[in-house]
Amino acid sequence: MDLTAWILQMLTGVKLTIQLFIVTIVLSIPLGLVLTFLKMSKNTALSKVISFYILIMRGTPLLLQIFFVYFGLPFIPVVGKYLVIDDRFTAGAIAFILNYAAYFAEIFRGGILSVDKGQYEAAKVLGISDMQTRFRIVMPQMFRISLPAVANETIILLKDTALITTLGLSDLLKVTNTIVNRTTNVSAYAVAAAFYLILSYILSALFVKLEKKFDF
Amino acid sequence: MYEIEAKNVRKSFGSLEVLKGIDLNISKGEIVAVLGPSGSGKSTFLRSLIDLETIEEGTVKIAGEYLCKDGKYPHNKEKARILSKAGMVFQHFNLFPHMSVKKNLMCAPMLNKQGTKEEIEKLAFEMLKKVGLEDKLDVMPSTLSGGQKQRVAIARALMRDPEIILFDEPTSALDPELTGEVLNVIADLAKEGITMVIVTHEMGFAREVADRIIFMYDGVVTEDDTPEVIFNHPKNERTRAFIQSVIK
Repeated sequence: MDLTAWILQMLTGVKLTIQLFIVTIVLSIPLGLVLTFLKMSKNTALSKVISFYILIMRGTPLLLQIFFVYFGLPFIPVVGKYLVIDDRFTAGAIAFILNYAAYFAEIFRGGILSVDKGQYEAAKVLGISDMQTRFRIVMPQMFRISLPAVANETIILLKDTALITTLGLSDLLKVTNTIVNRTTNVSAYAVAAAFYLILSYILSALFVKLEKKFDF
Repeated sequence: MYEIEAKNVRKSFGSLEVLKGIDLNISKGEIVAVLGPSGSGKSTFLRSLIDLETIEEGTVKIAGEYLCKDGKYPHNKEKARILSKAGMVFQHFNLFPHMSVKKNLMCAPMLNKQGTKEEIEKLAFEMLKKVGLEDKLDVMPSTLSGGQKQRVAIARALMRDPEIILFDEPTSALDPELTGEVLNVIADLAKEGITMVIVTHEMGFAREVADRIIFMYDGVVTEDDTPEVIFNHPKNERTRAFIQSVIK
């Protein structure tokens, strides 16, 4: 057993895992925010469309969504031929982003709903416009309220990235599996577990800091 | 011309009619206390004067302009313009918890480009001084006592130099020992010529500070007179019963 060689190999997998994680976080949070605003808009038709989207995304397995984006999209009649995504990482990342945006949308909506209505009233009588109220008064409070739930979701995402293995991409889990198959030594799984633990520990520590910073 | 004119103001929540045709004129600089039991519609009436409640019928004029004419409102921008000289202080303060005291005061004037940052900052300091909290400029609202929060909220309302301030039970959420500091600030403001309408349960304060007392019961104004008359010789039976029940 050559631990150093394992770790070096696994680090290439860690890199891909982190890449997928970052792409998903960076794009799904803003998308989630947009979904929240659309769902809470006064346009009921739009709101219903978004609710339906969230139902699909939360109601079906992420693994299935990954397969669908990579294998299934090209088979959609008429538009399918424009939806061929050759790059497996891109396909996987799209599934992750679409899925996580739905969860973040609901977290943010919960955050907005828990902002006291007195805040809107105070803003209104001070002559602050609706748009400014949303961005200056409601959103900062929403982020603070949502932070623990966002932290939770983020740590789940870190572990969910292992699903990308199914598209044959060399993330941490895939690399580990290769090592186990080659060496018939299952202790590589323990090393992989340590990697995931370290990464999620860093994340939790980061969120603890964020929560302290935005404590008011 | 009256500073606040309300004519036949009617409002329902579902099938419950809470304002049953209120007529009231308030002159510039007048200090009016609104008294009455819970559920009499006094807060709803106050809120309808600053567009926090939409009335279904009637007319509200603020500083000579129609906020609502026979149940019809102008568009949002116009309403905001008409109400630009009115401020409100809430029972639960409604300070912005994520902003320091200074930012709470500066937020709206900055967004509305009321002046340069330096001017607004100076004004914020002056207003805080007026409520005796100039040393709290940089603290967060969560570190303040209830009485201090309400004084900050009053300073915030003063930032736009209002001609009218509405107070919706400004001391009802405070511990009894903290009501004094807030009432003193309001009493001081009363001397500055700002028109004030105060919904309150503080009888002693109403009697001392108000020029005029409105008594509301079940969605109507049942009595409208000087504190002297309301407290000593109320004409209406409801008023008499209420006054007797609160002053034992």
